[in-house]
Amino acid sequence: MTRYFIIPAVVLVGIVSTGLSLASFRETFEKEFMLSPWSIAKGEISACIQCHTSDSMDTAMQQLVEDWRESWHAQNNISCHDCHGGAPEDASMSMSHQRGFKGAPKESDIPEFCGTCHIAIMNNYLKSGHGKTFLETGAGPNCDTCHGSHNIQRASMDIINEQLCSQCHTYERAKEMKQALFLVESKLNSIDKDLKHLRLLGIETDSQEKAFFRTHAEFRTLFHSIDVDAIRIKSSDYTEKLEIIETEINESFKMLAFRRNFSAYLFLLFVGLSVVVFLLLKSYEKK
Amino acid sequence: MWGKLIHWIEVRIGLEELVNKHLKQYRTPKGATFWSTLGFVTLIAFIVQAITGIMLLLYYIPHPDHAFKSVQTITNEIPYGWLFRLIHNVGGNIIVGVIIVHLVHVFLRISYKKPREITWVSGVLLFFLVLLSCITGQLLPWHQTGFWQTTVTSTIPGFLPIIGEGISSYMRGGEFVTGITLSRFFSFHVVILPVFIVTLILLHVMLIRRQGLSTSPSIEPDTDTVPADEFKREAHPEGEPCFPHFSLKRLYMVLVYFSVLFFILTFFPNLFLPPEANIPADPLTTPQDIRPAWYFLAPYQLIKTIPNDILGISLIVIFSIVLLFWPFLDAKDAGRNIRRRPMLLNLALIVLALWTILTIWGMYS
Repeated sequence: MTRYFIIPAVVLVGIVSTGLSLASFRETFEKEFMLSPWSIAKGEISACIQCHTSDSMDTAMQQLVEDWRESWHAQNNISCHDCHGGAPEDASMSMSHQRGFKGAPKESDIPEFCGTCHIAIMNNYLKSGHGKTFLETGAGPNCDTCHGSHNIQRASMDIINEQLCSQCHTYERAKEMKQALFLVESKLNSIDKDLKHLRLLGIETDSQEKAFFRTHAEFRTLFHSIDVDAIRIKSSDYTEKLEIIETEINESFKMLAFRRNFSAYLFLLFVGLSVVVFLLLKSYEKK
Repeated sequence: MWGKLIHWIEVRIGLEELVNKHLKQYRTPKGATFWSTLGFVTLIAFIVQAITGIMLLLYYIPHPDHAFKSVQTITNEIPYGWLFRLIHNVGGNIIVGVIIVHLVHVFLRISYKKPREITWVSGVLLFFLVLLSCITGQLLPWHQTGFWQTTVTSTIPGFLPIIGEGISSYMRGGEFVTGITLSRFFSFHVVILPVFIVTLILLHVMLIRRQGLSTSPSIEPDTDTVPADEFKREAHPEGEPCFPHFSLKRLYMVLVYFSVLFFILTFFPNLFLPPEANIPADPLTTPQDIRPAWYFLAPYQLIKTIPNDILGISLIVIFSIVLLFWPFLDAKDAGRNIRRRPMLLNLALIVLALWTILTIWGMYS
């Protein structure tokens, strides 16, 4: 009798084990899965980081990696080669110009260097007072002046401050600019906070985040023109766009409230039924 | 017309006979309390998991590029998908809790003694399989919590000498948690484990139907009236008919189970879904304070506390084996009243206290 159970069990275990370990699609699987962008293997291979964190580098060069690790770029998976080029997966060719290695830019090349990705911001900057001064003199305020190089943090209104701006000119004009930005900036911050909160509650916010990112980027681009009048005129357009996102966010909060109320209704229903059954049970016990 | 239809069905199915034989004439022993219904509650909880799991399966895509997104779609776009997902998530944790309480109750009543040894073994095996289901299930949404919990959990068997690395590697399908792991865990979670669980549930229920519920140890005489190599089903003439008395107790406890489930869903919907559970898996970013699910915190902390990893994992394996075969290790001649067995009572309390301390320690360490 036992064999009727043992034989199928052995066959089942055998099939599963053999299937998992020797299946012919294993190689295909590994190629497709292991080498995908989310695979740990790809992320670990970065010749830049390996070399810059090794003992052969001096402290200043090692600090570059530490600074980058704490940056907004790192948080968004923007790595060394995204700005400096080269081949991070191949140590021997990592700094090859043939593989697009650019190294550290000269000061005069900084706007173009950062503008590789931040194209619209670069264009507006070059048309601004800051950019014109930079183009005329080859020095002056550029991306690095306000944002730094490796430890680049997420831009906020705090960048406009007396200490930084007063290095070149009086703070009055910058203060006016900060006031013009205030309304839109505070809306941006509040939406950003709400979106993060919703995301952590498991609400899908992809479309709102895309709209927010677009509006946010356009607004930042406009700011780099340093044209107070243009910012004042266009602020209402941005406010309108942000209000649409706010409406959608409010809908999500309403949906969360509905879920809570629905669960509460079911909870009360089951508590009520438990009480009824308990009383019924007691009445039977008395009988 | 209605009467004819009922008769037609009755002739073919024999529902009345079924109800009479298995509910009305079937008597439960005196002293069968609410605690005695926990096995039935577990069965209902398992059915809830199966139904919600099937609903999730309709939309879930077991691929690293789509798994997280598909779970997000279920939660946010599919009508009432959030409800099914939350019930499955919270229910999976409650079922472990109910099984643990059931196990402790059976142990303290010493209900595993002859002729219920196989019932105990099948129950403990079921507990292990449910834990495996939880391990495999937590990776499927492909979020940060699941990914890193799996990374930690799949490391633990690696401490075992000789076969450890093989088990870890077999679990992950390689050195790291990747798409192969997801594919493997998916197969185990939705097909392989449920097949074994259902088979064991059938065996467990079949044995309980044959043996009946165990009598309260405080009522049962110390001397066994039935010869050691024979079986005689107890009639329990002093007890109550299963229907309506014990059936109502069962129904009450099932309703309490649902009340607890919806209480958590209402007031703490994210109790088992920390913020990282809403971030897609990222092998390059380890979340802070990553630790296994609450039911694995005790073994995890034990391994962390004991400096020798092999000793730590060996203790867990030995404990599991002892738990599984406990009915065969316990003194055969000793009675069923645990109050008259202070050594066994103290052993049980010490194990429970250690488990609780290690769990709390693991939560805050």
